[in-house]
Amino acid sequence: MTALLFILFAGMAIGCAISMVAQRNPLYGAISLIGVFISLACLYVTLAAPFIAAVQVIVYAGAIMVLVVFVIMLLNVEEEERLPLRLRSLVPIAVGLASILFAEAAFIIFFVQASPATPTSNTSDVGLTSSIGAGLFTTYLLPFEITSVLLLMAIVGAITLARRGGLLPPEIVVVPGFQVLARDVLDPLAQPEAPPIVAHTTEEVEKQLGLEGVPHVGNDA
Amino acid sequence: MEELTQIGLKLAGILLAFTVVMTLVAYTVLAERRVLGFIQGRLGPNRVGPGGFLQPLADLLKFIFKEDIVPDKSTRFVYFLAPVIATVAALMTIVVYPFGPDIHLPFNLPLIGNTIPMVVTRFDVALLYVLGVTSVGVYGIALAGWSSNNKYSLMGGLRSSAQMISYELALGLGLIGVILQSGTLDLYTIVEQQAGHLGISGWNVFWVQPLGFLIYLIAAIAETNRVPFDLPEAETELVAGFHTEYSAMKFALFFMAEYVNMFTVSMLATTLFLGGWNGPFVHQLPWLGVFYFLGKVILFLFLYIWLRGTLPRFRFDQLMSFGWKFLVPAALINIVVTATIEWSGLFDWIVNLFHLKTQTGWWG
Repeated sequence: MTALLFILFAGMAIGCAISMVAQRNPLYGAISLIGVFISLACLYVTLAAPFIAAVQVIVYAGAIMVLVVFVIMLLNVEEEERLPLRLRSLVPIAVGLASILFAEAAFIIFFVQASPATPTSNTSDVGLTSSIGAGLFTTYLLPFEITSVLLLMAIVGAITLARRGGLLPPEIVVVPGFQVLARDVLDPLAQPEAPPIVAHTTEEVEKQLGLEGVPHVGNDA
Repeated sequence: MEELTQIGLKLAGILLAFTVVMTLVAYTVLAERRVLGFIQGRLGPNRVGPGGFLQPLADLLKFIFKEDIVPDKSTRFVYFLAPVIATVAALMTIVVYPFGPDIHLPFNLPLIGNTIPMVVTRFDVALLYVLGVTSVGVYGIALAGWSSNNKYSLMGGLRSSAQMISYELALGLGLIGVILQSGTLDLYTIVEQQAGHLGISGWNVFWVQPLGFLIYLIAAIAETNRVPFDLPEAETELVAGFHTEYSAMKFALFFMAEYVNMFTVSMLATTLFLGGWNGPFVHQLPWLGVFYFLGKVILFLFLYIWLRGTLPRFRFDQLMSFGWKFLVPAALINIVVTATIEWSGLFDWIVNLFHLKTQTGWWG
């Protein structure tokens, strides 16, 4: 049964991975990558690591890939055109590296099968949340804390990059609820280069256009 | 053989849970239309069957026989995939919720034995599983918006992904208080811990978690795209948002996914904060627990409908600043307060003084 599930999910993972590389449309590639992550999570479940599986789905499939899909949708990236292959010299190197990888995998499979059954002592609580938590906060406390500092650095870096330069000049403050309207939208007679109207309410717009006291059309006329 | 029997029993359990949830979901739609009608001073659908009782069936038939229109310039594969993702992700979580305590029969049933569990499966990380599967549901809406090749759909899809990412954070942080107190991620154990006098005094919502409950409730409404956070399908601005181009059964799948999501977040709220199946006399009559559980869930669903009849829609920037500048800090404060109280032992002291979390006496 476990072997059957392994073959199913491993096949799905490999198929999705190949599809991810082969797709021309970036969104299809992203969807394939989500498929890879979810198949891997299923594999973790069959390997008695439910916590890792859940975290895999929440972090990778649920958060990171949503952002990737979001960006692809925002930019509306078109299907990439097939360019003539540059860096042709890298192809033999890639083939060589791939063959080394396959050799390694074959080596491991051969020796695992050749060696006697591995001693599986006391593995009942290995994948459980409490044992992972206890491990993180005792034996592996220092790496854990260093990782959190690393993540903090990433956040600080992202904010620094976002604040430097950017789309708006530094003296402009964006206030939610503020409306910026081109003047010729409101006033057909205005010169096109007249400064835009920045206002919160209809009354402010009227004041800037010099239309105070003009009766409104509609209910409050 | 033994393994096959187990798989068959699990499948039967899934089918049963699915049937119960889908029936209740169908009647939630009817209840929503009737209650909204009542709030707005009109009748609502009352023609099909007594009091409109067969209306869900009529709606279903109508959805099946409608013409299924696929936009010419849509991205076919993704367009078909999106409603499937939305529905599957919504339905996948119902297997982990404990609908009631184990029911012990005085006789043995073939294959099952004399104990019937009212939960399809129990595992160590049930709560994380729920959060993970819910977060995958975003793709259904985002991809639907993208693949329709319609600017209103795209805007709806983008809004919805931004909204769901933001509120998922507040939702998850709001639950951490409960996890801190329970010390487990297994939903069944969390429910068992909430027993108390009359099955009420031990509910987590009374124990340091009212703020967590409120945060979860608000974030859950935003996660399910309901009023007042229904910007992804704001019909005054976006026609119908992400499902503008969907018709017939594909639209029905999105519709169903929304209501199943409402149902599952209500089940999670009941399980974590309102004591799940705990209530008076559950100890003596375990099957009462199923009714308490579903009753509490229905109360939540009523709250949803009530809010829809009462509140106006947020503006998008209000939505974002509310999520990031109010809900997330509030959830962080909740975590710090809960952790401090847990560490000081104050909470355990009060609970032990009045035996609030143990079943005592005949009423337990």
